[in-house]
Amino acid sequence: MPKDPVCGKDIDESGARASTGQTAHGAAEVDPNMGTRSFHNGQWYYFCSMDCRTKFLASPNTYTG
Amino acid sequence: MDFAYTPEQQTLREEVRQFIAEYVTPEILAEVEESGVRSRGPKTREMYQKVADRGWIGISWPKEYGGQGGSRIDQYIVEEEFGRVGVEVGGAGSGAPAILAAGTEEQKKYFLPGLIRGEISFALGFTEPQAGADLAGLQCRAVRDGDEFVINGQKMYTTRAHSGSHIYLMARTDPEAPRHKGISIFLVPMETPGITVRPLWTIQNDPPAPRRTTYGDRRTNEVFFEDVHIPASCMLGEENTGWYVGALGLNLDRVGASRYLLSVQRDEDIINWVKENDMGGYGPSQDPAVRDRLAELWIEAQVCRLMTMRSMSLVERGGTFTYEGSAEKVWAPEHGVKTTETIAQILGAYGQLLSSSEDNIEGGVFAHNLMGAFQSGINHGSAQVMRDQVARRGLGMPRG
Ligand SMILES: Cc1cc2nc3c(=O)[nH]c(=O)nc-3n(C[C@H](O)[C@H](O)[C@H](O)COP(=O)(O)OP(=O)(O)OC[C@H]3O[C@@H](n4cnc5c(N)ncnc54)[C@H](O)[C@@H]3O)c2cc1C
Repeated sequence: MPKDPVCGKDIDESGARASTGQTAHGAAEVDPNMGTRSFHNGQWYYFCSMDCRTKFLASPNTYTG
Repeated sequence: MDFAYTPEQQTLREEVRQFIAEYVTPEILAEVEESGVRSRGPKTREMYQKVADRGWIGISWPKEYGGQGGSRIDQYIVEEEFGRVGVEVGGAGSGAPAILAAGTEEQKKYFLPGLIRGEISFALGFTEPQAGADLAGLQCRAVRDGDEFVINGQKMYTTRAHSGSHIYLMARTDPEAPRHKGISIFLVPMETPGITVRPLWTIQNDPPAPRRTTYGDRRTNEVFFEDVHIPASCMLGEENTGWYVGALGLNLDRVGASRYLLSVQRDEDIINWVKENDMGGYGPSQDPAVRDRLAELWIEAQVCRLMTMRSMSLVERGGTFTYEGSAEKVWAPEHGVKTTETIAQILGAYGQLLSSSEDNIEGGVFAHNLMGAFQSGINHGSAQVMRDQVARRGLGMPRG
């Protein structure tokens, strides 16, 4: 299970990606309560919240080691 | 420039008003209220079709692509009348100007009639978590693979991603090139596999902003692209010219009724309210301070109207149109903030009753506009970015 690189919480990746429905024109919708993500250096990082993601984006090297 | 409407234009306005009285029924208004101004429910789509049948969508677009080859002022009149009742009909903000300017023949033939019929609508996929005001820092990648491009990355605050048929996507096609020169635009169907939408709810969501709120959006979105394969024919304009195509399109998309309406509709609402209401023995329409402030606001709104007319006139005559739309985009939202602050002062606590309050006035529109006014100085280009464009394109200053 991936961890939020900022706060260290376990992330339910499949939950974050699970489709909860479709937009009016057929794109998958996801549950906003399952956290968010970011595509960074060719890889997806998952976060429990936007709050953690903004910290990550301010200083990715701090969190990617 | 002739500031008066022609007799034909006056007639058109009357026809539009009659149409609205007949077809924009309370049921449709309730549906708009329910689904949000920018998403169309089934009844609204039916009504929209009638508007299209009358030739009122894309009036100024060329006939060969389903438009009427008519004047922008006519289009403005239609947009203004519908805007006043809180119903959005095509035209400005549609993405059409960029397609007309940079699209292939095939793209024009496909997208423009679709926009007119209301079957196609675009979400604007520019902003990313780290590329907002500094848009040229965008990282969403589109990599060529034969006749296709493969997209990976994400967009943020993509307002119509949940309701639009396509996303008007800005992505990096050459990471080695200078920042502004390695970007391309793609018109991507939302149904393409690998696209995921995550709602981002704004201050206008809970309680929901009423229909006649002229500022802001209830819902915007994050959009994720994971190995999204699209044909190379989705590209708008030449590869790596997306920065310029995008800037031109955004600028031209600003030409229309929406800014002036944003400015004047709130003024008119409060002026009417003040004339018709008395807050416990305090008759605000007789209060010299209130009269002074409202007259000033209304005069300022007329400045915005003149800016709008100038933009339309310039574009109609094929003149260079560079900083004028940006100037309008600064003036109208800032006037809006001032208006809502003044309204808050005049109405006192009444002005803070939201749509969810049984005691709200005018459906809570004043309270919601107070919150939403600040959105309009950020979305579709923030005030600082717009001023910078005026400095560069209007005043000839170098890039900062
Ligand atoms: C309701 C809403 C709807 C939106 N819809 C869309 C949409 O549909 N599609 C889309 O692509 N985007 C959309 N946006 C995003 C919008 O375009 C951006 O929010 C905007 O470009 C600013 O970017 P930012 O929020 O990342 O702010 P930042 O770039 O983080 O900037 C924060 C503030 O600092 C100011 N600032 C930044 N740099 C400078 C500078 N050099 N000099 C002076 N001031 C500066 C900015 O103007 C802003 O006020 C929407 C935004 C909102 C609020």
